[in-house]
Amino acid sequence: MPEPQRSPVPWENVGPQFKKPFKQAAILVDLQRCTGCHSCSVSCKTEHEVPLGDFRMRVRYLERPAPQQAQLSFVPMLCMHCQDAPCMKACPTSAIGRLDDGRVVVEEDKCCGNKACVAACPYGAIFINDDTGKAEKCDLCTHRTEVGLDPACVSSCPTEALRFHDLADESDEVTAMARRQNAAAWKGDEGTAPSVLYIDHEKWMEDKVNLGVQISERDGDPIYEQDNFDRKKR
Amino acid sequence: MSEIKRRDLLKIGAGAALAAGAGAAAIPLVRRLADSAPPAIDIKKLVAGKLDYTRAKAVPTICFGCTTHCGVIGWVQDGRVRKIEGNPLDPNTQGNICSKAQGMISYTYYPERLMHPIKRVGKRGEGKWKRISWDEALSEIADRMRPLREGGVPEEFVFHYGRDKTKGYTKRFTNAFGTPHRLNRRSICSSNRRAPLMSFYGREFEWETQDFENTKYIVNFGGNPMEAYQGGLYMMHRIQKARVDGGAKMVTFEIRPSATASVSEDYFPIMPGTDGAVAFAMIHVILREGLQDEEFWNRWSNLPLEKLRESVKDYTPGWAEEQSGVPAADIERIAVEFAQAAPACCTMSNRGSAKHYNGVQADRAIRTLDVLVGNVGKPGGFCLSSLRGWAGRYGQEGLPKLSQPGPKPPNPKPWGIGEGYDEEAFKKLPDFVQERVNNFPEKWKKKYFGELATPSEYPLAWHWYQMRVGQLVYPYIKEGRQKVSVYMSFTLGASYGYPEANVAREVLQDESLIPFHVAIDIGYGEQAALADIVLPEATSLERWDHHSTNNYGLVPYTGVRQPLVEPAGETKSVQAILQDLAKRIGGGMEEYFAFESEEAFYKEWYKNLPVSWEDFKRRGIWYDEGREKDYELYERPLTDAELEGTAVEGDLVMKGGKAVGIMMDGKAVRGFPTPNRVINVYDEIWPEAAKAVGLPADDVNASPIAVYDTVPEHRDLGEDDYIFSTFKWNVHTQGRSGHWKYHAEIVHTNPVFMHPETGETLGVQEGDSVRVSVYRPKGHTYRGGEDGIMGSFENHVRFLSGMHPKVVACSHHVGHWEHGAVGASKNEATGPAEGTGPGAGNADPQAAPEKIWWSKGRGGIGGGVAINDALPINPCPLTGGQNWYDNVCKIEKL
Repeated sequence: MPEPQRSPVPWENVGPQFKKPFKQAAILVDLQRCTGCHSCSVSCKTEHEVPLGDFRMRVRYLERPAPQQAQLSFVPMLCMHCQDAPCMKACPTSAIGRLDDGRVVVEEDKCCGNKACVAACPYGAIFINDDTGKAEKCDLCTHRTEVGLDPACVSSCPTEALRFHDLADESDEVTAMARRQNAAAWKGDEGTAPSVLYIDHEKWMEDKVNLGVQISERDGDPIYEQDNFDRKKR
Repeated sequence: MSEIKRRDLLKIGAGAALAAGAGAAAIPLVRRLADSAPPAIDIKKLVAGKLDYTRAKAVPTICFGCTTHCGVIGWVQDGRVRKIEGNPLDPNTQGNICSKAQGMISYTYYPERLMHPIKRVGKRGEGKWKRISWDEALSEIADRMRPLREGGVPEEFVFHYGRDKTKGYTKRFTNAFGTPHRLNRRSICSSNRRAPLMSFYGREFEWETQDFENTKYIVNFGGNPMEAYQGGLYMMHRIQKARVDGGAKMVTFEIRPSATASVSEDYFPIMPGTDGAVAFAMIHVILREGLQDEEFWNRWSNLPLEKLRESVKDYTPGWAEEQSGVPAADIERIAVEFAQAAPACCTMSNRGSAKHYNGVQADRAIRTLDVLVGNVGKPGGFCLSSLRGWAGRYGQEGLPKLSQPGPKPPNPKPWGIGEGYDEEAFKKLPDFVQERVNNFPEKWKKKYFGELATPSEYPLAWHWYQMRVGQLVYPYIKEGRQKVSVYMSFTLGASYGYPEANVAREVLQDESLIPFHVAIDIGYGEQAALADIVLPEATSLERWDHHSTNNYGLVPYTGVRQPLVEPAGETKSVQAILQDLAKRIGGGMEEYFAFESEEAFYKEWYKNLPVSWEDFKRRGIWYDEGREKDYELYERPLTDAELEGTAVEGDLVMKGGKAVGIMMDGKAVRGFPTPNRVINVYDEIWPEAAKAVGLPADDVNASPIAVYDTVPEHRDLGEDDYIFSTFKWNVHTQGRSGHWKYHAEIVHTNPVFMHPETGETLGVQEGDSVRVSVYRPKGHTYRGGEDGIMGSFENHVRFLSGMHPKVVACSHHVGHWEHGAVGASKNEATGPAEGTGPGAGNADPQAAPEKIWWSKGRGGIGGGVAINDALPINPCPLTGGQNWYDNVCKIEKL
């Protein structure tokens, strides 16, 4: 495909001709760089007009184990776009599918809202939107990537802690970085083969509850617990 | 504070999925299974209802989510701003934004936003309003103001702003009216850190611009650029790149695990008010080890090195450990690492170090560190870059001149006795004030404009320029130091956010003190609730502003805030409001506001840019890409043009009675923009000011060379005494973001954070409620030394192991009782229904009261507590900077 002509004004380069030809769309999360600023999650909510109380993506604040307990770690969480996706298998109406570039998406018109996917997801990445009654989750901003823009969270991250890349392309420099820095899957032992990988992932993070920020469940849990990401567990 | 570094820990147990180690490349990253042959999905259906970027209009503008002002792109579809992204052409942000940028959408479309002027019909503060027309509102205001101007008492009109980024437009109005009372809140924010910088480097450099991109070592005394610092976003992405890609190290002294503390290689919970002690001990170590850059020091500082050595001889690391709790061995190590990284090293400080009784001196010690290791103006070091406006000032040489279109009204006359002074206004001041001012040196007499603008007790609040002492405005009005006839507040939240906010409310409530109060704001907040007329302002997405600030990329740049959509409902920009008002007041005032349209006004402002207006609007930003970076500006030779008409006196190059350069090795170079063209590590201005206001000579603030003294109220801390501190979250901005739905959802309450050991001592568990009671200050300050408790508040406890055990902290930002349902965290309507109306049809249904899941009405935790009634007004001697972080408190379990 010939390179499309580009304007020197970056935001004028929008259209199907700018779409990145990825085989396995993925996000690389670099926890060395994340400052917990919530730019990604607020950008995501704004982009998708997500109702209050629900999240396609969010940032966890975790108190580190000793001897680093005086500091916090910040962990952006989103749909892992599993290559072996439990939500897809669980859906009785085949409403969860996969695009050509491997991303996992919900087809809302096929969704019956029975929450099987919500229960099946080990990451708590899916919720039922009360306004529509349909399952909703991160779709890597298909409406943006179709016209050559990165997903909203990636585009809004001020520290390159989130990068959009082609996991199937070993020549993609972000993919090479994931390799070099031993990027790991969140809850790798679930065996779902996530496309979203984490640099500086540490096992303890998976079991820690959230701390410091106040995103609580809709019932206003006073200990600032998790939202839909942990609903299954609770 | 272990020696085990975080990075080392991370190596252990990493790589669970990718099979770490050699040969890992052989393992495929993609192993998509049988489900990968799904039926084709209709992408059109998938993206239906989403923002269509091929159809939406992109408009570059300047963010107003906080005071950092990032270049952004707003995407507009069907007349509504749907999304904010970064502007990659902005050299300061390099296209980055933070969450607060999206807040502009929240505040533009929140359901309770005021859409037309309202006038109170009940008692002031009662909350009863009626809708009025702009004509009615502005006529009434003009009728109130005109007699003041015509009657020779324009100073009885007081304009008080919280956030004004019109870069001089509101001053145009107050000057045209003739009042010096354009008050602000700089003392609440940053005057204690600006004053030491201006003392060191001159008026042009009240803010530094470290070269973070190229630095190797950062010592951060209480700055929090990852969350709140003005310019934080500019710094954040550079610091993270320097750390992760460049191997730079950051050391942070803080009282709680802020985001900045958490990403730092070393974080030390420090006893509040002791940052200076650590800095002094670092100077001590650097000198002892001979790691100073003596050549730089001798060339550019005004203090013989031996005098510095003498001044820090007792400030040993062991002594600093006793003061601060930071281990002496770590201070030794950090001092050596810092000096060895020079010149690619820099200090950083902000409110953590500066907002204390001894904070000015702490910052002077911190600034001394940079001079000592010679990193000033060097790559990776502590640089200085042009701050604002392009008027040919220091650091702006060769830039096209940008200035607000004329004709510009003259400044009011200073208040005093004699030719060229406003004697009438002066003579109405209390006798003791007149006497003090009469004894001031000439340089201050020329800058004195009454007690509200230039409080005489605090000459260093206005010696360099008018930083003012905002927190004293209401007590001074109450004391009768200034008669006020018309009070206009603009984007101000004093009645919620100032220390002793209850005093602000009490004064605003009192019609004998404030006979007429007009509030201009985009929403109905706590300040507007105490107004007589509220004028609804257009938001930053609906209006124009000039933008220029220091670029951490070290090349001056400028940008323009431009409207993305028409002002909603009947709202108007502040420019349009003041223009209309000036015309109605008349008497010649209108001549200064005779421009055709706002766009024409701003087009004229930028007329000297070497790009067309249309192209500038298309990009939103302009800078000279070929311009050399602002390294070592002080070493630059004066050009032939600059040398014209100069004469050398001593080693100074003089022009028109002012030094414009300095002779170095027989060459005329620029030097620093100080009166003596060098760095004033030693400055007589501090004892001079102390003497003028009767501050004892042994007070820490009176010393010409930086010295340390314990914060007065921390001297005899009892076991049951704790330091109460406040802080800011990354998703909020001062008191102006409570009503942003997606931000309030993340942070809506302010628990009392404490160390688990503190909890154990107090016998409290997480979730328990406590009462925090704050004492009055003890130093030479407003009501200093008065006994008794200033105020109390209650909230629940949260533990954090990163807290300093002697500190408890609650965040600012929350506990609003106005600002709509989201702002007040209520699942019921708040504010005057009369305020909304036409344009409210655009309101965001997702921010409706029934959606506020954290409201108490929905069983949630509620909106936190307003803490500022309990925090004493505590201006630092001389500068007036509010000493937010000195407060001592006691804590009771409830």
